[in-house]
Amino acid sequence: MTDREIFEKVVELRSAGVAACLATVVGAGGSTPREVGAKMIVCADGTTYGSVGGGCGESQVKSAALRVLLVTGRPELVEVDLTDDLGTRGGDVCGGRMWIFVEPVRRG
Amino acid sequence: MATDLWERVCDLLERGRSACLATVVASEDEDRVGQRLLVLPDGEVEGTTGLPELDRQIARAACDALADLRRGWVVIPEGHRVFLDILAPEASVLVCGAGHIAVPLAEFARAVGFGVTVLDDRPDFAHPDRFPGCRVIARDFREALAEMPLGPHWYVVVITRGHEHDAECLEAVLRRPTAYVGLIGSRRRVGFVLEMLGRQGIPPDRLQDVFTPIGLPIGGESPAEIALSIVSELVCVRRKGPGQARLLRRVVEEGS
Repeated sequence: MTDREIFEKVVELRSAGVAACLATVVGAGGSTPREVGAKMIVCADGTTYGSVGGGCGESQVKSAALRVLLVTGRPELVEVDLTDDLGTRGGDVCGGRMWIFVEPVRRG
Repeated sequence: MATDLWERVCDLLERGRSACLATVVASEDEDRVGQRLLVLPDGEVEGTTGLPELDRQIARAACDALADLRRGWVVIPEGHRVFLDILAPEASVLVCGAGHIAVPLAEFARAVGFGVTVLDDRPDFAHPDRFPGCRVIARDFREALAEMPLGPHWYVVVITRGHEHDAECLEAVLRRPTAYVGLIGSRRRVGFVLEMLGRQGIPPDRLQDVFTPIGLPIGGESPAEIALSIVSELVCVRRKGPGQARLLRRVVEEGS
């Protein structure tokens, strides 16, 4: 999805009153699956739009989004470590590190 | 943040404007996290972090980031980490000609993040059912192109069914700045079209901008393979510039 499509989806979800988070790759080092600025929307029911990198760290971002939406209500900066070079702990082998900002976008 | 900042962002993007969306993503002052400003290229600022001095410093950094289209985070004293996101007009592909290559081409271009518009004068071909997620225009080429908001973020692929239509499209497109123009066709057909455009007053250096043969040389033969090679070329031009795309072709041709 392009940035424009992501932002239009944010507006749409907000006016429909859907609880959702916007996750944005705000920093990256080493080899990462997505570039700085990549975005993903995570809704409270687990629906996602866009991508911040497929399997690499995306589950971490989804759980942060649910924590933000359902528990804390405050934005979070999530660090995703992709330096498990042999994939021994679950396969995040891209080799870099990403920082992803996860913030609620619901109205009010 | 102001409840309507997201709408404002969409509105700017729709109008093809640039801006920097600056967000405090970490701070020693927890209440600042998530606060943001929208900074326009002329320095105009919308929104506030609640701290006027911080707003001023963010606006300065945002203007610098906008000037060289650099996305990333900066640290602003004391202890605020601010992400500067560059909002720029969406890279858009215009496909002139809605034939059999256009279908996979539009699909692949969408998948790699381009907005896609498809134009043909045959309503059966330029039909929304054939191009999900795309803007589809069924109209005379010349008339439609006269109203298209083409500009430096547009990638134009000319694959119409005949050389008169190719010439008609290129004639309209080459008079305006674009990121990319590519023309499909045999050497003979392409030579004929370019020569005709030269006679119509298109400057030679602009004619040389036209990518033809079109697409990276991956040996594609089927419509989907050809579409893939064209979209690969669009990605290469977007990420590394037109010089790199031409170099790739030259290296392959010289090596064979």
